Amino acid sequence: MKAVVTNNLSKIYDGGNRALNDISFSLDTGEIFGFLGPNGAGKTTTVKLLCGMLAPTGGECRVFDYDPLKNPEEIHQISGVLTEHAQMYDYMSGIDNLIFYGKLFGMDEADCKKKAGELLERLDLLDAEKRKLSAYSTGMRQRLSLARAMMHSPKILFLDEPTSGLDPESAQNVNSLIQELADAGTTVFLCTHQLRYAQEICTTYGLMNKGDLLAVGDIEQLRGMVSSGVRLCIKASSLPDGMNYRMVDKNSYEIIIESENAIPRIVKDIVMAGGDIYQVVVNNMSLEEVYFSLINNCSGGEGCDKA
Amino acid sequence: MNAKQMELMKKDILSVVTNRQLFVVMLIVPLIFTVVLPTIFILVTLFAPDVNSEFQRMIELLPVSARTGNEKIVMLSMFIDNIMPLFFMLIPIMASSVMAAGSFVGEKEKSTLETLLYSPLSLTQLFRAKIFACFFVGMLVSGISFLVMMVVIETELFFLIGTVLIPDISWLIVMLIVAPAISFIAISVTVRGSAKARTMEESQQRAVFVVFPFIFLIVGQFSGIILINKWIFLGLGLVLALIAVLLMKGSVKNLTYEKMLK
Repeated sequence: MKAVVTNNLSKIYDGGNRALNDISFSLDTGEIFGFLGPNGAGKTTTVKLLCGMLAPTGGECRVFDYDPLKNPEEIHQISGVLTEHAQMYDYMSGIDNLIFYGKLFGMDEADCKKKAGELLERLDLLDAEKRKLSAYSTGMRQRLSLARAMMHSPKILFLDEPTSGLDPESAQNVNSLIQELADAGTTVFLCTHQLRYAQEICTTYGLMNKGDLLAVGDIEQLRGMVSSGVRLCIKASSLPDGMNYRMVDKNSYEIIIESENAIPRIVKDIVMAGGDIYQVVVNNMSLEEVYFSLINNCSGGEGCDKA
Repeated sequence: MNAKQMELMKKDILSVVTNRQLFVVMLIVPLIFTVVLPTIFILVTLFAPDVNSEFQRMIELLPVSARTGNEKIVMLSMFIDNIMPLFFMLIPIMASSVMAAGSFVGEKEKSTLETLLYSPLSLTQLFRAKIFACFFVGMLVSGISFLVMMVVIETELFFLIGTVLIPDISWLIVMLIVAPAISFIAISVTVRGSAKARTMEESQQRAVFVVFPFIFLIVGQFSGIILINKWIFLGLGLVLALIAVLLMKGSVKNLTYEKMLK
């Protein structure tokens, strides 16, 4: 069973603001799906549509085969949602907040306390568990919200900018927790505009821009959409005549090859021609480069090949 | 009510008790209507030299049998059984609407409502739990207010004139039919406005419209046009109960997640 399926999903808000244009994709269980794009790309709208908070203007979507319009409660029971606007109670302590939300999801008191304790420890909040939320810093609130979303061990996590407001150490901690959950079979739908961060933990990606889904796939598939070869950077005294290269700097060259299988042959040719090799690096396109390349394709008059 | 709804109700009730600002607002109005107002009336009635013309007009509306005896006792009985119930109505209206404003719009204002919307409770279950929490608080404040008021009135009367005046059946009708109905009406008016209201104050202002009919009745009574008795209370209670049922059904029916998140 697919964790998430959308078919030509569209959303136009009252007033005519078109937030989503016919997006279609599907996710397998246990994936960490990075739903990426700048602010206003349609990421949060998609999460709200998948959770039944918004009604689509066109198309349909399903989460673990539940229709969000018909069965929002069933989807809520199996999902944990972290968004900027889903806050907790300032007058309650951290642990009381978690226990309250745990009970709201049908957990009993003992299970709530046990799970809350585990999550608070894992997210480095154990010292502040009895402190009222009003005394929490932005980062602590964010970590507690993450704990709240995980309280009932959901099958799918919708995380909207989960590392927003976190220091690098906490962000690292959150990333490893997300990774552990995915390893245990939880599907993670992660919305962010931080492409480098997404590349660290996501297994597949959906790249969004102004309500359009530009591309879907893993990093290799995305690279294949914008470039047909692998970029090889070589530092050498000279390259043999007849080799197709671009000189970047003195003794620094760039060669586009079909695949990494061509590297030994190139190295052998350089050495055989009497050249000295100082460095050979395969320079893959980063997710950021892929994204901007796709954006340029769209705005460069080539039209957007929607995923 | 399932266990999840009970948990939400418990949280909502505790949130009022722990919110000092809200709690003080809820206590001041009942204190004025159950302690200050009756005390002033009793002292004025017993120690002022003459019965003023407004009360004379009201006394003339009483049945002949009720007008006999000591004039001051007649006035005090009329105050307890005919006048006070109308003032008392403001207590469930105020308590329920303040609680409802905090429970619905207050949560929206503090961005905690969205988190609740992601819970496995349906929108109807969620709102029903919140409505009953507001109703419970409204009735609790009203019940305690009634007891405090009776203790204050009877104690003052006992020490000042050496007797107590037992309230008539009007109070039973008020406490069992009119107060619950008016409480539900105040809550449903607040819930209906909760999708549009942006602040708690804006939401509370809507409940003012529920107060107006009672102010007209109070004015009508003091101007000698009408005297509210047990039959009028009963009729009023039944009409209000019917309105409450209709409003309650309508208030939850048209709500959607999308409207609540706006």
